[in-house]
Amino acid sequence: MQDGRPAGPDGQPVGPNRRACLAGAAGLAASWALPGSAAWAASEARQHLTIAAYPAVDKVIKAALPAFQALHPNVEVQVISREFADHHTAMTTALTTASNLPNLMTLEVDYLGRFARGIGLEDLTQPPYNALQYRDRFVQYAFDQATDKTGAVLAIPTDIGAGTLLYRADLMAKAGVTEADLTSSWESYVAAGLRVRAATGAYLLPNARDIKDIVIRTGIQPGEGLFYDKQSKALINTHRFHRAFELSLKVRQNKLDAQVRPWSSDWAEGFRRGAISTQMVGAWMAGHLNNWLAPTTRGLWRSAQLPEGAYAASGGTFYAIPRRSAPEMKPVAWEFIRMMTLSREQQLGAFKALDAFPALLETYDDPFFEQPIEFLGGQPGRLLWREAARRIKAVQVHKQDHFASEVVNTELDKVLDQGKSIEQALADAQRLIQSRALR
Amino acid sequence: MSQPLPAVSATTAAAVSPSTKSRRRTRLQLSTRWAPYVLLGPFLVLFVVFGLYPLLFSLYLAFQSWEPTSGLHAMQFVGFDNFAFALQDEWFWKSLSNTGWLALASGVPQHLVAIPVACFIHARIKRFRNLLVGAYFVPYITSTVAIAILFTSLFSTDYGLINSGLRAIWNGEPIDWLNKPGTIKPTIALLVFWRYVGFNVVLYLAALQTIPADLYEAATIDGAKAWQQFRYITLPSLRPAILFGVTLSVIGGLQLFEEPFILTNGKGGSDQAGMTTAFYLFRMAFDFNDFGAASAMSWLLFAVVAVLTWATHKALGRRT
Amino acid sequence: MAHTAVATLSNRTSQRLNAWTAYVAVGIGALVMLTPFYFLFVFATQSRQELFSLPPPLFFGNDLAANVHILTERIPFLRNLGWSVYVALASTALTLLFCSMGGTAFALYEFRFKKQLFAVVMGTMLLPSFMTIIPNFMVMDALGWIDQPRALYVPGAAGAFGIFLMRQSVIAAIPRELIEAARMDGCGEFAIYWRIVLPLLKPALGTLGLATFIASWNNFIGPLVVMRSPDMYTLPLALRTLQSPVDTEWGALMAGTAIATLPLLVLFALASRQLIAGLTAGAVKS
Repeated sequence: MQDGRPAGPDGQPVGPNRRACLAGAAGLAASWALPGSAAWAASEARQHLTIAAYPAVDKVIKAALPAFQALHPNVEVQVISREFADHHTAMTTALTTASNLPNLMTLEVDYLGRFARGIGLEDLTQPPYNALQYRDRFVQYAFDQATDKTGAVLAIPTDIGAGTLLYRADLMAKAGVTEADLTSSWESYVAAGLRVRAATGAYLLPNARDIKDIVIRTGIQPGEGLFYDKQSKALINTHRFHRAFELSLKVRQNKLDAQVRPWSSDWAEGFRRGAISTQMVGAWMAGHLNNWLAPTTRGLWRSAQLPEGAYAASGGTFYAIPRRSAPEMKPVAWEFIRMMTLSREQQLGAFKALDAFPALLETYDDPFFEQPIEFLGGQPGRLLWREAARRIKAVQVHKQDHFASEVVNTELDKVLDQGKSIEQALADAQRLIQSRALR
Repeated sequence: MSQPLPAVSATTAAAVSPSTKSRRRTRLQLSTRWAPYVLLGPFLVLFVVFGLYPLLFSLYLAFQSWEPTSGLHAMQFVGFDNFAFALQDEWFWKSLSNTGWLALASGVPQHLVAIPVACFIHARIKRFRNLLVGAYFVPYITSTVAIAILFTSLFSTDYGLINSGLRAIWNGEPIDWLNKPGTIKPTIALLVFWRYVGFNVVLYLAALQTIPADLYEAATIDGAKAWQQFRYITLPSLRPAILFGVTLSVIGGLQLFEEPFILTNGKGGSDQAGMTTAFYLFRMAFDFNDFGAASAMSWLLFAVVAVLTWATHKALGRRT
Repeated sequence: MAHTAVATLSNRTSQRLNAWTAYVAVGIGALVMLTPFYFLFVFATQSRQELFSLPPPLFFGNDLAANVHILTERIPFLRNLGWSVYVALASTALTLLFCSMGGTAFALYEFRFKKQLFAVVMGTMLLPSFMTIIPNFMVMDALGWIDQPRALYVPGAAGAFGIFLMRQSVIAAIPRELIEAARMDGCGEFAIYWRIVLPLLKPALGTLGLATFIASWNNFIGPLVVMRSPDMYTLPLALRTLQSPVDTEWGALMAGTAIATLPLLVLFALASRQLIAGLTAGAVKS
């Protein structure tokens, strides 16, 4: 009796050869660890289109699927929807490693800049897309936002956010402030705020930062970006930044802002309780306020253009095709983009159902724009926003815009809270932003 | 526990049991010669793939310039450029100063509080000891995310419990704990302190139990007062435990990431006051898409951790 | 005579006072440690409106069911819970297996480069985890493991802490004579490991298993970097996504957090002595 193992007829122990065992185990482990080579085979009959999106544009896409299936019965569409920030992180990751790439992705305008310097997105001016032929059909600035320095078009706009001034008509009436008082100039806007505060106790706006955000978007020269010019030189020491900082400081010094952060509970409560009398936001905010943010204030708000003839964009969704996604699906992805962005039905449908303001110009003659909006007390606000959309100028995006924005916010906070001088703050911001310009 | 057991080498095993030499071993049994390699194998494979390789790769990445969305082959060698950038980057230095402040503000109180508490429990509390120690230890085992979410709610400016409590006592402006740079840091430090003080209590309690009681008896007979006994018997005996605990606090403090990340909602807070270096380099990589600089910064931080750990050892280690 | 008596009396009183102050202080400390948990469970039973009313609620409400309903609506909560359990169990099993094997190897055998290897492994305990976040992500991606649970439980199985603990325990708990006797009886090395070492290691295995389970359950950075679809998230990450959207459902978030914390509290209540003793053994005796 050797080691307790049964012996075979020849006296040798029964059992697999040890080396064979190990080899087998190693093989199993390897095949389990490495990605399966037996990927689904694309049969001629069915093609698989993957679209990566986030709320709420994912709803728009899903609503359009029946129409797309009708046109392309052999294409199976899968929509992968993730939370907003996670979606963009996932897209960055996927583009980095060229794996898990969807055939089509939606992108928010803020993130376009980050991908602008890379070569991860397909240039849609090339054949077979030839997107330039459609340029005139879109709202000018939206299309240009997706065009990089070399003239390549990296994405197609599907919805836009025109900036607007929302104000509480009841509070204004109580203070004897007219809409003209609010909008004729920035100084008159602030002056109106003083009167509103005195008469009703309500703040003029949620945060002094908001005024900075709009004013720095005025007076941008063609070809310039928000923080950098075409040669990646920082633009902080310009008049628009000076004025923006001065106005913000004035608002804070006169206690005209509620000092709340956007999307925080304090901010939401401010609207519900009528503690904030105006805000400068994308037009889509009216929908949010109406639906869940402050539905009890329905009918009390009005919309106006931004003060002093300023026009700014806030938000906007784009479709893009990753350059290294499956080549055979790219034409299909392009067809989907064309359907969503160039079709009047799709654009208006998304507008009516989900408040997605169209980027397609030919929808602008639809009577829907003239309809009164209950939230705005019957005012046909869409007319205003349509007008604004036509007048917004494109701003060149830069890879470091995200960082630059934070730096400017930090410096503004120091001016507002710690009494730092505006010149010093702008100089510091300029230096910091310049040091990163070429990374 | 005395000296470690002498390990068995292949030849010794053969010498000890001469009969095994001639015995045929069945194929599937492990011989003494191969045993260590097979036993260590799985661990080693994982360690090399997931521990060593990423480390070396991160070192390699520190010398590259890389725009990630253009793909892996878009890396460009740039020598020490990333390091140079990091060293002149204001935000990097700001993050280091934040990290240092937080490590001290959260670490020092942990030990200053844990030692007396442990001494007290050791000396006076017999009956409910496990319950009490358990109560102190519980924050340590819970998830950082859970805790930080809870604290975000508790410290909310207008609706948080802390400010409500304060309002009852003091009629000033509600303190903006999570938004103002001056208050973010203490809030994070408080959270970290709350989380780890229990671990140190347990550590010191265990150490205290190894001090022989007759040392104290002898000292009492000699007329030594309580605080003298503490200073000349307890503290020196606790030295190895203090070294261990402080080392862990140094390393942990310098690596702070999760608590500030959740409390500032991934952004670092006003004036980046809550942005530790670990947090900053995470943002460098995933928010600002600069993997090269992020890797360089992580190695710079490692250098700081290594130096400080060595310094801790020098200061608190055995003087032999 | 009288004043010495008085002096002794006041001495004793002051001593008692000191003692009582200390009792109270330590007791308050314990309460401070536990109070946030009390509020966690209170908040879990309150609705969002109540959580944002002034003054905030101090006692249990009756919105727990509603909160759980919202919770399961907004995120695939049960799936996430399931993933947390699965990953934690797998992580524990793998870690126990690999680290006990590795610890045995270090403790019982001699082989080339043993000292250096052990030093390198110990060195990684010193290294901060953030150093390898980025390359780890790339390794995961190269292997095709992004968005898969194995990316969470496999790498941790090679933890330096685990191997350190196992090695210490094998050295301390396994008598050499036992091993030799087994060898003389013809036991193969693997059988020695499996049938002799492992059973004797039970206490240490218990400690390591607990520590691993807890660490895996609470792991946030790992899933943050490696998981992409909300369907595959573990609990900490899932709860975070409840927090970031524009409209935070605080009541549901608190309920989710409470549910995520509960298993650990139970585990801890059952095994606290074991865990505490095991974790500090290495510190004190080294």
